[in-house]
Amino acid sequence: MRDYVIETRGLTKKYGEQKSVSNLSMHVRKGRIYGLLGRNGAGKTTTMRMLLGLTAPSSGEVKIFGKSLRGNEKNILPRIGSLIESPGFYPNLTGTENLQIFADLRGLKSSKYVKSALEVVNLPYRDKKLFSQYSLGMKQRLAIALAVMHNPELLILDEPINGLDPIGIAEVRDFIRELCNATGKTILISSHILSEISLLADDIGIIDHGVLLEEESREELEAKNGKYFRFTVSNAGLAANLLQSRLGIQNVQVDNANELTVRDLHLDTGAAVRLFVDAGLSVSDAHLYEDTLEDYFKQVTGGEGIA
Amino acid sequence: MLRLLRSEFAKLKRKPLFFAASAASALIPLGCALFLPEMQDFSSGAEAVDRLMSTLFQMSAYLLLMPALVVLASNLLFEEQDNDTLKNLMTVPVSKPALALAKMILLFLFAIAFMVVGSLVNLMMVLASGLEPVGFWRLFCVGIGQGIMMWAGALPCVLLVVLLNRSYIISVIITFFYTAVNYIFGTNDFFIMQPFGFNPGTLLPGPLTFRWFFQYLDTSVSSAQMTELMERISPYFVTTPQAFLVVILESAVFLTLIALVYKRQSC
Repeated sequence: MRDYVIETRGLTKKYGEQKSVSNLSMHVRKGRIYGLLGRNGAGKTTTMRMLLGLTAPSSGEVKIFGKSLRGNEKNILPRIGSLIESPGFYPNLTGTENLQIFADLRGLKSSKYVKSALEVVNLPYRDKKLFSQYSLGMKQRLAIALAVMHNPELLILDEPINGLDPIGIAEVRDFIRELCNATGKTILISSHILSEISLLADDIGIIDHGVLLEEESREELEAKNGKYFRFTVSNAGLAANLLQSRLGIQNVQVDNANELTVRDLHLDTGAAVRLFVDAGLSVSDAHLYEDTLEDYFKQVTGGEGIA
Repeated sequence: MLRLLRSEFAKLKRKPLFFAASAASALIPLGCALFLPEMQDFSSGAEAVDRLMSTLFQMSAYLLLMPALVVLASNLLFEEQDNDTLKNLMTVPVSKPALALAKMILLFLFAIAFMVVGSLVNLMMVLASGLEPVGFWRLFCVGIGQGIMMWAGALPCVLLVVLLNRSYIISVIITFFYTAVNYIFGTNDFFIMQPFGFNPGTLLPGPLTFRWFFQYLDTSVSSAQMTELMERISPYFVTTPQAFLVVILESAVFLTLIALVYKRQSC
């Protein structure tokens, strides 16, 4: 059995008759970055809230560090750092003062915790700027600082790059990767931005309409991505006939008068091109294509793409 | 709990409302001293202390402290939801009942601070008049006691505010209605002339507080009307143990209810 830091079984959240999360069973492995990918409103935040005990599940179970969350909150929650939805802080206090409040509540006596957390996200220590005067990016950085301040074993980050500029996004991405690689922390990160998940996550869960549709490692997902050849020739119909009759290739689709797609990966492209040329066809393009994660996302969610 | 209370104090930084509310306790005594002729002409230090402190007990505590407590309670209890910080606290984890109790303790300290500030302003006015503040410290302690009783008396209204969750306008209306009723009941013979027991005169904060603090005022140099009032209501005075027994029991009940209602609120 794998060493799961987070494991849910049949996790369901209903608001009235509407299911926000339905029978969700997810598995987050120790020392890995798990990316929960889904559109806005897919159930990512509700799932994370249930993992932190902020929302009670209608049914199902949450296990964190091998223990049921229910009844063990006092032991489990101090080992988790989290950022859920928008950053929430006291507007009349500075960033440092805000963090000091939470450091005190967590029993972190030394000011080094606050200082180093702010350093990590490139915010100044003991700055006089009030939280109400922060930009959205600074607020998000402060929220990340709060999540990592007590050096937790597990980080649950809901859309952590929201509001960050491109440089900030890259910094946070590197920082999260570094946390995982250097300190072995387990990180659950949610996003509706597919490129972020594909760049960062080791394991990916695809959630749509509250249902976890897929849960695989990135390598496994990449292996599942479809590959195909596409040719642009002077006569696509004739080319298709040649492939089928002379090379025995069956999975051939004529897209239009000049283009055809071959989904048989055993095809020797060199032989195919020689065959077309020998038959008097002109070949203007021969390409191997691979589906992206976005194509895969569209395929499994049965809908439109994602940002 | 100590950590929570410390964090509640830390959150007050750059929040002028609390400090302005504490300073407001000086308003009525100062106003009376400056604008009422009878408050400028005292025959002795004891009379000056008595009349100024009486103003604090009968006016400031009822008309300023009580509504200030409820308004500040709503400010404290809703600030976590308004600032979206409740989720951060819950994941520390901090329990919602403990958080609500810490906020109520802060209010308790505020009520005492309010009465202390008002009393000290009175003391300064007596000293500034060149009189000796005879009997001040006894009434200072009574003032602190009254602050505690007003805090306990505000808890039912705080419970209503928590139940109404975020409806500030209705909360303010209820606060001022509660303050007015409390003041009227506290000066109404029907309520203040009831024996100690399970009756409105004992259970309602206005009459109970009046029946407790009034016995400590010196009416020997007062008007005939005041002396007659004293004679009429003195059989109904409550002792300090009786008064604080009611305060402790009512506080326990309402603090429990406030904690339970606050616990049910989502973050």
